[in-house]
Amino acid sequence: MTALKNAYHILFLAALIFLALMLICCLIRAVRGPRIADRIVAVNMMGTMVMVMIAILALLLHEGYLVDICIIYAMISFLAVIVLTKVYMGVYRERHERGNKTGDNDPV
Amino acid sequence: MKNNRFARWFYGEDDTLIDKVEMKPQKERTPPERQVRRLMQEHERLHEHIYEDDNRKLWLFDKIYRIASVLFCLTFISILLVTVSWLPPSGSANNPGSNEVSARYIEKGLQETGAVNIVTGMILDYRAFDTFGESNVLYVATCAVLILLRLDHDEKRKPGDLTRSEAESNDRIYEPKNDMILQKVAGFLVPLIMIFGIYVILNGHLSPGGGFSGGAIIGAGLILYLNAFGFAKTERFFTEKTYKWVCFFALTFYCLAKSYSFFTGANHLESGIPLGTPGAILSSGLILPLNICVGLVVACTMYAFYALFRKGGF
Amino acid sequence: MVLEWIRFIIGTAVLLVGLATFALEVFGAFRFHFVLNRMHAAAMGDTLGIGISLIGLMIFSGWNFTSLKMFLVVLFLWFASPVSSHLIARLEAATDEELTKYCEVED
Repeated sequence: MTALKNAYHILFLAALIFLALMLICCLIRAVRGPRIADRIVAVNMMGTMVMVMIAILALLLHEGYLVDICIIYAMISFLAVIVLTKVYMGVYRERHERGNKTGDNDPV
Repeated sequence: MKNNRFARWFYGEDDTLIDKVEMKPQKERTPPERQVRRLMQEHERLHEHIYEDDNRKLWLFDKIYRIASVLFCLTFISILLVTVSWLPPSGSANNPGSNEVSARYIEKGLQETGAVNIVTGMILDYRAFDTFGESNVLYVATCAVLILLRLDHDEKRKPGDLTRSEAESNDRIYEPKNDMILQKVAGFLVPLIMIFGIYVILNGHLSPGGGFSGGAIIGAGLILYLNAFGFAKTERFFTEKTYKWVCFFALTFYCLAKSYSFFTGANHLESGIPLGTPGAILSSGLILPLNICVGLVVACTMYAFYALFRKGGF
Repeated sequence: MVLEWIRFIIGTAVLLVGLATFALEVFGAFRFHFVLNRMHAAAMGDTLGIGISLIGLMIFSGWNFTSLKMFLVVLFLWFASPVSSHLIARLEAATDEELTKYCEVED
Protein backbone atom coordinates (compact mmCIF):
# COMPACT_ATOMS: atom_id res chain seq x y z
CA MET A 1 0.00 0.00 0.00
CA THR A 2 2.83 2.39 0.68
CA ALA A 3 3.84 2.29 -2.97
CA LEU A 4 0.43 3.68 -3.86
CA LYS A 5 0.65 6.34 -1.15
CA ASN A 6 4.08 7.39 -2.33
CA ALA A 7 2.80 7.55 -5.89
CA TYR A 8 -0.07 9.82 -4.86
CA HIS A 9 2.29 11.99 -2.86
CA ILE A 10 4.75 12.43 -5.73
CA LEU A 11 1.99 13.11 -8.26
CA PHE A 12 0.35 15.80 -6.12
CA LEU A 13 3.65 17.49 -5.32
CA ALA A 14 4.65 17.54 -8.98
CA ALA A 15 1.28 19.02 -9.97
CA LEU A 16 1.59 21.71 -7.28
CA ILE A 17 5.09 22.72 -8.37
CA PHE A 18 4.02 22.85 -12.02
CA LEU A 19 1.03 25.04 -11.21
CA ALA A 20 3.21 27.33 -9.11
CA LEU A 21 5.50 27.89 -12.11
CA MET A 22 2.50 28.68 -14.29
CA LEU A 23 1.38 31.15 -11.64
CA ILE A 24 4.67 33.05 -11.84
CA CYS A 25 4.34 33.22 -15.64
CA CYS A 26 0.86 34.69 -15.28
CA LEU A 27 2.29 37.28 -12.90
CA ILE A 28 4.80 38.30 -15.57
CA ARG A 29 1.92 38.74 -17.99
CA ALA A 30 0.07 40.89 -15.47
CA VAL A 31 3.05 43.19 -14.98
CA ARG A 32 3.97 43.44 -18.64
CA GLY A 33 0.61 43.68 -20.37
CA PRO A 34 0.24 46.99 -22.11
CA ARG A 35 -3.49 47.37 -21.60
CA ILE A 36 -5.82 47.14 -18.65
CA ALA A 37 -7.71 44.14 -20.03
CA ASP A 38 -4.42 42.18 -20.07
CA ARG A 39 -4.02 42.65 -16.38
CA ILE A 40 -7.58 41.74 -15.48
CA VAL A 41 -7.30 38.59 -17.61
CA ALA A 42 -4.00 37.62 -15.96
CA VAL A 43 -5.43 38.03 -12.45
CA ASN A 44 -8.39 35.85 -13.44
CA MET A 45 -6.03 33.15 -14.73
CA MET A 46 -4.06 33.26 -11.51
CA GLY A 47 -7.24 32.81 -9.51
CA THR A 48 -8.21 29.75 -11.51
CA MET A 49 -4.81 28.13 -11.00
CA VAL A 50 -4.97 28.83 -7.27
CA MET A 51 -8.35 27.08 -7.22
CA VAL A 52 -6.86 23.91 -8.71
CA MET A 53 -4.01 24.09 -6.21
CA ILE A 54 -6.44 24.31 -3.28
CA ALA A 55 -8.38 21.30 -4.59
CA ILE A 56 -5.16 19.28 -4.89
CA LEU A 57 -4.22 20.28 -1.33
CA ALA A 58 -7.64 19.16 -0.12
CA LEU A 59 -6.86 15.67 -1.40
CA LEU A 60 -3.25 15.70 -0.23
CA LEU A 61 -4.14 16.50 3.38
CA HIS A 62 -7.36 14.41 3.40
CA GLU A 63 -9.40 17.40 4.57
CA GLY A 64 -12.57 17.64 2.54
CA TYR A 65 -13.71 21.06 3.68
CA LEU A 66 -10.96 22.96 1.84
CA VAL A 67 -13.02 22.72 -1.35
CA ASP A 68 -15.43 25.25 0.20
CA ILE A 69 -12.66 27.78 -0.17
CA CYS A 70 -12.54 27.06 -3.92
CA ILE A 71 -16.17 28.06 -4.34
CA ILE A 72 -15.67 31.25 -2.36
CA TYR A 73 -12.57 32.12 -4.37
CA ALA A 74 -14.41 31.63 -7.67
CA MET A 75 -17.17 33.95 -6.47
CA ILE A 76 -14.80 36.65 -5.32
CA SER A 77 -12.75 36.68 -8.51
CA PHE A 78 -15.94 36.86 -10.62
CA LEU A 79 -17.15 39.80 -8.54
CA ALA A 80 -13.79 41.53 -8.90
CA VAL A 81 -13.93 41.32 -12.70
CA ILE A 82 -17.45 42.75 -12.78
CA VAL A 83 -16.67 45.73 -10.55
CA LEU A 84 -13.32 46.52 -12.22
CA THR A 85 -14.70 46.57 -15.76
CA LYS A 86 -17.69 48.66 -14.75
CA VAL A 87 -15.65 51.28 -12.92
CA TYR A 88 -12.96 51.49 -15.55
CA MET A 89 -15.41 51.92 -18.39
CA GLY A 90 -17.07 54.75 -16.46
CA VAL A 91 -13.72 56.47 -15.89
CA TYR A 92 -12.71 56.15 -19.53
CA ARG A 93 -15.99 57.51 -20.85
CA GLU A 94 -15.95 60.39 -18.40
CA ARG A 95 -12.46 61.40 -19.45
CA HIS A 96 -13.50 61.13 -23.07
CA GLU A 97 -16.53 63.39 -22.58
CA ARG A 98 -14.50 65.95 -20.67
CA GLY A 99 -11.80 65.79 -23.32
CA ASN A 100 -14.38 66.45 -26.03
CA LYS A 101 -15.83 69.38 -24.12
CA THR A 102 -12.58 71.18 -23.41
CA GLY A 103 -11.16 70.38 -26.81
CA ASP A 104 -8.00 68.50 -25.94
CA ASN A 105 -7.74 64.74 -26.05
CA ASP A 106 -5.64 63.21 -23.33
CA PRO A 107 -4.67 59.67 -24.25
CA VAL A 108 -5.92 57.01 -21.89
CA MET B 1 -33.67 77.26 10.58
CA LYS B 2 -36.42 79.09 12.45
CA ASN B 3 -38.08 82.07 10.95
CA ASN B 4 -38.67 84.26 14.00
CA ARG B 5 -37.26 87.70 14.63
CA PHE B 6 -34.42 86.47 16.80
CA ALA B 7 -33.18 84.09 14.14
CA ARG B 8 -33.35 86.72 11.49
CA TRP B 9 -31.35 89.16 13.62
CA PHE B 10 -28.88 86.48 14.64
CA TYR B 11 -28.06 85.51 11.10
CA GLY B 12 -27.80 89.07 9.90
CA GLU B 13 -30.76 89.26 7.57
CA ASP B 14 -32.67 91.80 9.58
CA ASP B 15 -31.56 94.93 11.33
CA THR B 16 -33.95 95.95 14.09
CA LEU B 17 -32.70 99.53 14.50
CA ILE B 18 -33.22 100.74 10.94
CA ASP B 19 -35.88 103.45 10.62
CA LYS B 20 -36.11 103.82 14.36
CA VAL B 21 -32.91 105.68 15.19
CA GLU B 22 -31.32 108.72 13.59
CA MET B 23 -28.38 107.64 11.48
CA LYS B 24 -26.42 108.72 8.47
CA PRO B 25 -27.79 107.53 5.13
CA GLN B 26 -26.59 103.98 4.60
CA LYS B 27 -24.95 102.84 1.42
CA GLU B 28 -24.54 99.26 0.22
CA ARG B 29 -21.80 97.31 1.88
CA THR B 30 -19.27 96.63 -0.82
CA PRO B 31 -15.72 95.72 0.14
CA PRO B 32 -13.35 98.49 -0.85
CA GLU B 33 -11.48 98.14 -4.13
CA ARG B 34 -8.09 98.36 -2.55
CA GLN B 35 -8.71 95.55 -0.14
CA VAL B 36 -9.97 93.17 -2.83
CA ARG B 37 -6.99 93.90 -5.03
CA ARG B 38 -4.59 93.34 -2.18
CA LEU B 39 -6.16 89.98 -1.35
CA MET B 40 -5.88 88.83 -4.94
CA GLN B 41 -2.25 89.85 -5.16
CA GLU B 42 -1.51 88.00 -1.94
CA HIS B 43 -3.23 84.89 -3.31
CA GLU B 44 -1.19 85.02 -6.52
CA ARG B 45 2.03 85.50 -4.68
CA LEU B 46 1.38 82.48 -2.47
CA HIS B 47 0.45 80.39 -5.48
CA GLU B 48 3.68 81.27 -7.23
CA HIS B 49 5.71 80.64 -4.12
CA ILE B 50 4.25 77.19 -3.60
CA TYR B 51 4.26 75.97 -7.15
CA GLU B 52 7.38 77.59 -8.50
CA ASP B 53 9.68 75.33 -10.35
CA ASP B 54 13.06 76.34 -9.05
CA ASN B 55 12.34 76.42 -5.35
CA ARG B 56 15.50 74.99 -3.84
CA LYS B 57 13.92 73.97 -0.58
CA LEU B 58 11.12 72.06 -2.22
CA TRP B 59 13.44 70.10 -4.52
CA LEU B 60 15.73 69.24 -1.62
CA PHE B 61 12.79 68.12 0.48
CA ASP B 62 11.54 65.93 -2.32
CA LYS B 63 14.84 64.12 -2.71
CA ILE B 64 15.40 63.72 1.02
CA TYR B 65 11.84 62.48 1.47
CA ARG B 66 12.22 59.64 -0.96
CA ILE B 67 15.52 58.43 0.47
CA ALA B 68 14.35 58.87 4.06
CA SER B 69 11.13 56.97 3.49
CA VAL B 70 12.97 53.99 1.99
CA LEU B 71 15.49 54.00 4.85
CA PHE B 72 12.75 54.22 7.43
CA CYS B 73 10.87 51.29 5.92
CA LEU B 74 14.02 49.16 5.79
CA THR B 75 14.88 49.96 9.41
CA PHE B 76 11.39 49.14 10.57
CA ILE B 77 11.31 45.87 8.64
CA SER B 78 14.68 44.79 10.01
CA ILE B 79 13.66 45.61 13.59
CA LEU B 80 10.53 43.51 13.21
CA LEU B 81 12.41 40.62 11.62
CA VAL B 82 14.98 40.59 14.43
CA THR B 83 12.13 40.54 16.96
CA VAL B 84 10.50 37.62 15.16
CA SER B 85 13.73 35.65 15.20
CA TRP B 86 13.75 35.88 19.00
CA LEU B 87 10.37 34.15 19.29
CA PRO B 88 10.38 30.52 20.44
CA PRO B 89 9.93 27.90 17.69
CA SER B 90 6.33 27.09 17.13
CA GLY B 91 5.12 23.86 18.67
CA SER B 92 7.86 23.32 21.22
CA ALA B 93 6.72 22.28 24.67
CA ASN B 94 8.22 25.19 26.65
CA ASN B 95 6.22 27.85 24.85
CA PRO B 96 4.43 30.24 27.16
CA GLY B 97 1.33 29.71 25.04
CA SER B 98 0.94 26.00 25.71
CA ASN B 99 -0.22 26.12 29.27
CA GLU B 100 -3.17 24.57 31.02
CA VAL B 101 -5.72 26.84 29.33
CA SER B 102 -5.20 25.47 25.85
CA ALA B 103 -4.95 21.93 27.23
CA ARG B 104 -8.36 22.35 28.86
CA TYR B 105 -9.86 23.77 25.67
CA ILE B 106 -8.59 20.90 23.56
CA GLU B 107 -9.43 18.11 25.95
CA LYS B 108 -12.78 19.22 27.22
CA GLY B 109 -13.89 21.45 24.34
CA LEU B 110 -16.11 18.95 22.59
CA GLN B 111 -17.70 17.75 25.79
CA GLU B 112 -18.39 21.13 27.35
CA THR B 113 -19.50 23.10 24.31
CA GLY B 114 -20.89 20.33 22.13
CA ALA B 115 -19.26 21.73 18.99
CA VAL B 116 -17.20 19.40 16.80
CA ASN B 117 -15.28 22.43 15.50
CA ILE B 118 -13.33 23.39 18.61
CA VAL B 119 -12.41 26.82 17.24
CA THR B 120 -16.05 27.84 16.88
CA GLY B 121 -16.75 26.39 20.30
CA MET B 122 -14.02 28.55 21.70
CA ILE B 123 -14.92 31.83 20.07
CA LEU B 124 -18.64 31.52 20.63
CA ASP B 125 -18.81 29.74 23.94
CA TYR B 126 -15.72 30.13 26.07
CA ARG B 127 -14.82 33.61 24.77
CA ALA B 128 -18.18 34.75 23.52
CA PHE B 129 -17.76 38.21 24.98
CA ASP B 130 -14.71 38.91 22.82
CA THR B 131 -16.65 37.99 19.69
CA PHE B 132 -19.37 40.35 20.81
CA GLY B 133 -16.77 43.10 20.86
CA GLU B 134 -15.72 42.18 17.34
CA SER B 135 -19.25 42.40 15.97
CA ASN B 136 -19.60 45.78 17.60
CA VAL B 137 -16.39 46.91 15.93
CA LEU B 138 -17.94 46.12 12.55
CA TYR B 139 -20.99 48.17 13.41
CA VAL B 140 -18.95 51.12 14.68
CA ALA B 141 -16.81 51.04 11.53
CA THR B 142 -19.92 51.37 9.38
CA CYS B 143 -21.10 54.28 11.51
CA ALA B 144 -17.74 56.03 11.06
CA VAL B 145 -17.78 55.57 7.29
CA LEU B 146 -21.38 56.80 7.22
CA ILE B 147 -20.43 59.99 9.03
CA LEU B 148 -17.59 60.66 6.62
CA LEU B 149 -19.16 59.75 3.34
CA ARG B 150 -22.87 60.41 3.49
CA LEU B 151 -24.22 63.27 1.42
CA ASP B 152 -26.16 66.02 3.15
CA HIS B 153 -29.88 66.37 2.95
CA ASP B 154 -31.29 68.84 0.47
CA GLU B 155 -32.08 71.53 3.04
CA LYS B 156 -28.43 72.06 3.89
CA ARG B 157 -27.21 72.58 0.35
CA LYS B 158 -26.07 75.91 -0.87
CA PRO B 159 -27.69 77.18 -4.08
CA GLY B 160 -25.62 76.15 -7.03
CA ASP B 161 -24.79 72.71 -5.71
CA LEU B 162 -26.33 69.60 -7.12
CA THR B 163 -29.36 68.07 -5.46
CA ARG B 164 -28.84 64.92 -3.48
CA SER B 165 -30.03 62.47 -6.11
CA GLU B 166 -27.94 64.18 -8.78
CA ALA B 167 -24.86 64.10 -6.60
CA GLU B 168 -25.40 60.46 -5.80
CA SER B 169 -25.48 59.43 -9.42
CA ASN B 170 -22.82 61.90 -10.52
CA ASP B 171 -20.03 59.36 -10.21
CA ARG B 172 -21.85 56.72 -12.15
CA ILE B 173 -23.37 58.60 -15.07
CA TYR B 174 -20.93 57.21 -17.60
CA GLU B 175 -20.89 53.65 -16.39
CA PRO B 176 -22.56 50.91 -18.40
CA LYS B 177 -25.83 49.78 -16.92
CA ASN B 178 -28.30 46.95 -17.41
CA ASP B 179 -26.18 44.45 -19.21
CA MET B 180 -28.58 41.73 -20.32
CA ILE B 181 -26.18 38.79 -20.12
CA LEU B 182 -25.06 39.75 -16.64
CA GLN B 183 -28.65 40.12 -15.49
CA LYS B 184 -29.72 36.70 -16.66
CA VAL B 185 -26.71 34.97 -15.16
CA ALA B 186 -26.95 36.91 -11.91
CA GLY B 187 -30.60 35.95 -11.67
CA PHE B 188 -29.47 32.34 -11.65
CA LEU B 189 -26.34 32.66 -9.52
CA VAL B 190 -27.40 34.96 -6.68
CA PRO B 191 -29.85 32.46 -5.10
CA LEU B 192 -27.12 29.81 -5.27
CA ILE B 193 -24.65 32.10 -3.54
CA MET B 194 -27.17 32.96 -0.82
CA ILE B 195 -27.92 29.30 -0.19
CA PHE B 196 -24.22 28.54 0.02
CA GLY B 197 -23.72 31.40 2.46
CA ILE B 198 -26.54 30.15 4.66
CA TYR B 199 -25.01 26.66 4.54
CA VAL B 200 -21.64 28.00 5.72
CA ILE B 201 -23.26 29.99 8.56
CA LEU B 202 -25.38 27.13 9.82
CA ASN B 203 -22.50 24.68 9.73
CA GLY B 204 -20.21 26.79 11.88
CA HIS B 205 -19.94 24.27 14.64
CA LEU B 206 -19.47 21.23 12.42
CA SER B 207 -16.99 22.28 9.76
CA PRO B 208 -14.84 25.35 9.23
CA GLY B 209 -16.92 28.37 8.47
CA GLY B 210 -19.20 30.08 10.88
CA GLY B 211 -20.65 33.52 11.08
CA PHE B 212 -17.81 35.61 9.70
CA SER B 213 -17.12 33.77 6.47
CA GLY B 214 -20.77 33.01 5.82
CA GLY B 215 -21.64 36.65 6.31
CA ALA B 216 -18.95 37.66 3.86
CA ILE B 217 -20.41 35.29 1.26
CA ILE B 218 -23.92 36.68 1.68
CA GLY B 219 -22.52 40.20 1.42
CA ALA B 220 -20.77 39.24 -1.81
CA GLY B 221 -24.05 37.88 -3.16
CA LEU B 222 -25.79 41.17 -2.38
CA ILE B 223 -23.03 43.12 -4.10
CA LEU B 224 -23.39 40.91 -7.19
CA TYR B 225 -27.13 41.59 -7.27
CA LEU B 226 -26.49 45.30 -6.94
CA ASN B 227 -23.97 45.35 -9.77
CA ALA B 228 -26.26 43.46 -12.10
CA PHE B 229 -29.54 45.23 -11.42
CA GLY B 230 -28.75 48.72 -10.19
CA PHE B 231 -29.57 50.65 -7.05
CA ALA B 232 -33.28 51.16 -7.70
CA LYS B 233 -34.09 47.48 -7.65
CA THR B 234 -31.87 46.71 -4.69
CA GLU B 235 -33.45 49.40 -2.57
CA ARG B 236 -36.76 47.66 -2.92
CA PHE B 237 -35.65 45.24 -0.25
CA PHE B 238 -32.54 46.65 1.37
CA THR B 239 -32.83 50.21 2.61
CA GLU B 240 -31.30 52.07 5.48
CA LYS B 241 -34.16 50.98 7.71
CA THR B 242 -33.45 47.32 6.94
CA TYR B 243 -29.82 47.79 7.86
CA LYS B 244 -30.65 49.53 11.10
CA TRP B 245 -33.22 47.02 12.29
CA VAL B 246 -31.23 43.94 11.29
CA CYS B 247 -28.06 45.14 13.03
CA PHE B 248 -30.01 46.27 16.07
CA PHE B 249 -31.77 42.97 16.55
CA ALA B 250 -28.67 40.88 15.92
CA LEU B 251 -26.50 42.82 18.34
CA THR B 252 -29.21 43.05 20.99
CA PHE B 253 -29.77 39.32 20.89
CA TYR B 254 -26.07 38.69 21.25
CA CYS B 255 -25.84 41.17 24.09
CA LEU B 256 -28.75 39.64 26.02
CA ALA B 257 -27.31 36.19 25.50
CA LYS B 258 -23.71 36.64 26.49
CA SER B 259 -22.86 39.96 28.09
CA TYR B 260 -23.27 38.64 31.60
CA SER B 261 -19.70 37.38 31.44
CA PHE B 262 -18.51 40.96 31.82
CA PHE B 263 -19.74 40.85 35.41
CA THR B 264 -19.40 37.23 36.40
CA GLY B 265 -15.98 36.62 34.89
CA ALA B 266 -15.16 33.03 34.16
CA ASN B 267 -18.15 31.55 35.94
CA HIS B 268 -20.46 30.32 33.25
CA LEU B 269 -24.17 30.65 33.69
CA GLU B 270 -25.92 27.57 32.41
CA SER B 271 -28.24 28.39 29.55
CA GLY B 272 -31.11 25.95 29.62
CA ILE B 273 -30.53 24.76 26.08
CA PRO B 274 -29.30 21.14 26.07
CA LEU B 275 -26.09 20.38 24.27
CA GLY B 276 -27.40 17.60 22.09
CA THR B 277 -25.35 15.05 20.21
CA PRO B 278 -22.17 16.44 18.70
CA GLY B 279 -22.32 16.26 14.93
CA ALA B 280 -26.00 17.04 14.60
CA ILE B 281 -26.89 20.46 13.36
CA LEU B 282 -29.14 21.38 16.29
CA SER B 283 -26.50 20.91 18.92
CA SER B 284 -24.12 22.91 21.08
CA GLY B 285 -26.53 25.23 22.79
CA LEU B 286 -26.44 28.87 21.85
CA ILE B 287 -23.72 28.62 19.19
CA LEU B 288 -26.13 28.33 16.25
CA PRO B 289 -28.18 31.48 17.02
CA LEU B 290 -25.03 33.44 17.78
CA ASN B 291 -23.53 32.37 14.46
CA ILE B 292 -26.63 33.64 12.70
CA CYS B 293 -26.40 37.01 14.48
CA VAL B 294 -22.74 37.46 13.60
CA GLY B 295 -23.40 36.44 10.00
CA LEU B 296 -26.17 39.00 9.62
CA VAL B 297 -24.01 41.82 10.99
CA VAL B 298 -21.11 40.95 8.70
CA ALA B 299 -23.32 40.70 5.60
CA CYS B 300 -24.94 44.07 6.28
CA THR B 301 -21.55 45.66 6.92
CA MET B 302 -20.06 44.44 3.64
CA TYR B 303 -23.01 45.65 1.60
CA ALA B 304 -23.06 48.95 3.50
CA PHE B 305 -19.40 49.66 2.77
CA TYR B 306 -19.85 48.98 -0.91
CA ALA B 307 -22.99 51.11 -1.21
CA LEU B 308 -21.46 53.97 0.77
CA PHE B 309 -18.37 54.09 -1.38
CA ARG B 310 -20.33 53.93 -4.61
CA LYS B 311 -23.28 56.09 -3.84
CA GLY B 312 -22.72 58.01 -0.64
CA GLY B 313 -25.79 56.59 1.03
CA PHE B 314 -27.96 53.54 1.19
CA MET C 1 -5.77 -3.70 -5.01
CA VAL C 2 -5.64 -3.70 -8.78
CA LEU C 3 -8.74 -1.52 -8.76
CA GLU C 4 -6.86 1.10 -6.74
CA TRP C 5 -4.04 1.15 -9.24
CA ILE C 6 -6.50 1.44 -12.16
CA ARG C 7 -8.14 4.37 -10.43
CA PHE C 8 -4.73 5.95 -9.91
CA ILE C 9 -3.75 5.58 -13.55
CA ILE C 10 -7.00 6.89 -14.98
CA GLY C 11 -7.03 9.82 -12.55
CA THR C 12 -3.43 10.68 -13.34
CA ALA C 13 -4.11 10.63 -17.07
CA VAL C 14 -7.07 12.98 -16.76
CA LEU C 15 -5.23 15.31 -14.36
CA LEU C 16 -2.24 15.49 -16.69
CA VAL C 17 -4.50 16.42 -19.62
CA GLY C 18 -5.92 19.20 -17.45
CA LEU C 19 -2.47 20.49 -16.51
CA ALA C 20 -1.43 20.38 -20.18
CA THR C 21 -4.42 22.60 -20.95
CA PHE C 22 -3.18 25.08 -18.39
CA ALA C 23 0.28 25.02 -19.96
CA LEU C 24 -1.21 25.68 -23.41
CA GLU C 25 -3.25 28.52 -21.98
CA VAL C 26 -0.24 30.29 -20.47
CA PHE C 27 1.75 29.73 -23.65
CA GLY C 28 -1.06 31.23 -25.69
CA ALA C 29 -1.37 34.18 -23.37
CA PHE C 30 2.23 35.05 -24.08
CA ARG C 31 2.44 34.46 -27.79
CA PHE C 32 -0.63 36.12 -29.21
CA HIS C 33 -0.30 39.66 -30.38
CA PHE C 34 -3.57 41.33 -29.55
CA VAL C 35 -5.51 41.59 -26.32
CA LEU C 36 -8.69 39.91 -27.51
CA ASN C 37 -6.76 36.87 -28.74
CA ARG C 38 -5.00 36.58 -25.41
CA MET C 39 -8.33 36.76 -23.67
CA HIS C 40 -9.60 33.95 -25.87
CA ALA C 41 -6.66 31.78 -24.76
CA ALA C 42 -7.24 32.61 -21.12
CA ALA C 43 -10.92 31.73 -21.29
CA MET C 44 -9.93 28.25 -22.41
CA GLY C 45 -8.09 27.66 -19.16
CA ASP C 46 -10.89 29.06 -17.04
CA THR C 47 -13.46 26.56 -18.25
CA LEU C 48 -11.86 23.57 -19.94
CA GLY C 49 -8.66 23.43 -17.88
CA ILE C 50 -10.28 23.56 -14.51
CA GLY C 51 -13.14 21.29 -15.63
CA ILE C 52 -10.86 18.46 -16.70
CA SER C 53 -8.51 18.89 -13.72
CA LEU C 54 -11.35 18.75 -11.24
CA ILE C 55 -12.88 15.70 -12.95
CA GLY C 56 -9.50 13.99 -12.51
CA LEU C 57 -9.50 14.95 -8.83
CA MET C 58 -13.05 13.68 -8.48
CA ILE C 59 -11.88 10.30 -9.76
CA PHE C 60 -9.19 10.32 -7.06
CA SER C 61 -11.50 11.19 -4.25
CA GLY C 62 -14.26 8.73 -4.93
CA TRP C 63 -17.97 8.97 -4.37
CA ASN C 64 -18.38 11.37 -1.47
CA PHE C 65 -19.30 14.89 -0.50
CA THR C 66 -15.96 16.36 -1.57
CA SER C 67 -16.61 15.29 -5.15
CA LEU C 68 -20.01 16.96 -5.06
CA LYS C 69 -18.41 20.20 -3.92
CA MET C 70 -15.85 20.02 -6.71
CA PHE C 71 -18.67 19.49 -9.18
CA LEU C 72 -20.36 22.59 -7.80
CA VAL C 73 -17.14 24.56 -8.35
CA VAL C 74 -17.09 23.45 -11.99
CA LEU C 75 -20.76 24.36 -12.42
CA PHE C 76 -20.26 27.81 -10.94
CA LEU C 77 -17.22 28.48 -13.10
CA TRP C 78 -18.94 27.32 -16.27
CA PHE C 79 -21.69 29.86 -15.63
CA ALA C 80 -19.55 32.73 -14.42
CA SER C 81 -16.49 32.56 -16.65
CA PRO C 82 -18.17 33.33 -20.01
CA VAL C 83 -19.79 36.38 -18.41
CA SER C 84 -16.33 37.55 -17.26
CA SER C 85 -15.02 37.15 -20.81
CA HIS C 86 -17.99 39.08 -22.18
CA LEU C 87 -17.43 41.95 -19.75
CA ILE C 88 -13.70 42.17 -20.44
CA ALA C 89 -14.30 42.10 -24.19
CA ARG C 90 -16.88 44.86 -23.83
CA LEU C 91 -14.37 46.93 -21.88
CA GLU C 92 -11.72 46.39 -24.53
CA ALA C 93 -14.03 47.18 -27.43
CA ALA C 94 -15.30 50.36 -25.81
CA THR C 95 -11.97 51.79 -24.71
CA ASP C 96 -9.66 50.83 -27.53
CA GLU C 97 -8.90 53.63 -29.91
CA GLU C 98 -7.33 51.50 -32.62
CA LEU C 99 -9.81 48.67 -32.66
CA THR C 100 -10.34 48.72 -36.43
CA LYS C 101 -6.68 47.99 -37.00
CA TYR C 102 -6.99 44.34 -36.07
CA CYS C 103 -10.67 43.65 -35.81
CA GLU C 104 -13.63 43.97 -38.14
CA VAL C 105 -16.20 46.22 -36.56
CA GLU C 106 -19.68 46.22 -38.01
CA ASP C 107 -21.77 49.33 -37.48
